[in-house]
Amino acid sequence: MKYKIITLTAVVILLAGIAGSVFVLGSKGGSTVVITQNDRVIREIDLDLAPDETFDVEYGGSKNTIEIKDGKIRVKSAQCPDKTCVHMGWLSSPAMPIVCLPNHLVIKFADNSEDVDALTK
Amino acid sequence: MKPRRIAELAVLCAVSLIIFIVELQIPNPFPIPGIKLGLANIITVYAVYHYKPYEVVLLVAVRILLASVFSGNFAALVYSFSGSVFCLLGMLLLKRIIDEKHLWLSSVFGAVLHNTGQMAAALVMLQTPSLIVYYPFLIVSGCLAGAFTGLAAQIVSARLKKIIK
Repeated sequence: MKYKIITLTAVVILLAGIAGSVFVLGSKGGSTVVITQNDRVIREIDLDLAPDETFDVEYGGSKNTIEIKDGKIRVKSAQCPDKTCVHMGWLSSPAMPIVCLPNHLVIKFADNSEDVDALTK
Repeated sequence: MKPRRIAELAVLCAVSLIIFIVELQIPNPFPIPGIKLGLANIITVYAVYHYKPYEVVLLVAVRILLASVFSGNFAALVYSFSGSVFCLLGMLLLKRIIDEKHLWLSSVFGAVLHNTGQMAAALVMLQTPSLIVYYPFLIVSGCLAGAFTGLAAQIVSARLKKIIK
């Protein structure tokens, strides 16, 4: 009996965690996306207004092809060895930026919440 | 403390450090800091159930210090320290309620508490409230990793009964 209660508590914690994860992953970011390379902002795009386009970002001879389509953004193809950025698909959550480590490339939703940046502004 | 006790603790500490170093070589598929299997905690969980509280604290303190020396990651020291404090406090209390046959349950709570401690340390250190969005992921990973290390500890415990009494 005692263990039923304890197991139940553990299951509740796990379910709460899963629910929280789903909530965080599902919550929508703003519409502004920032593309940075080596901590340098190379482009800021408002996805709601941006026309569909495809462009390349180069780093040390290795290219990432970034595609914007229907208000979404992804890395369409990459010349890096692991292609993690391509497999991540369309950028969907503020918690999960698209990152290409070999090419030092990060695509993420702009942070407009009260954050470290807000304090330093 | 008897020399035999000290020797046993030293061996356990060495084993957990070896596990820790082997685990460092396994690439982590999850990009979030704080999410990992934590196989070295198999030893921690085992020790909680077989040694006195102050012995476990000694063991874990030495483990954490040496682990940060071996991995060269001193920045992680604060996080693993606060995580371990939470985890040990919780598990040493839970030990009174949960018997050894249900070690894995106790380990799940320990892992979640460990992640809670890490989260608390991160919030205090980085002063970035938005970090809290990672907390749900940490809980899920804590539950799974905790159950796994707990089950492994149960197996270890059954095997070790023949050697250490």
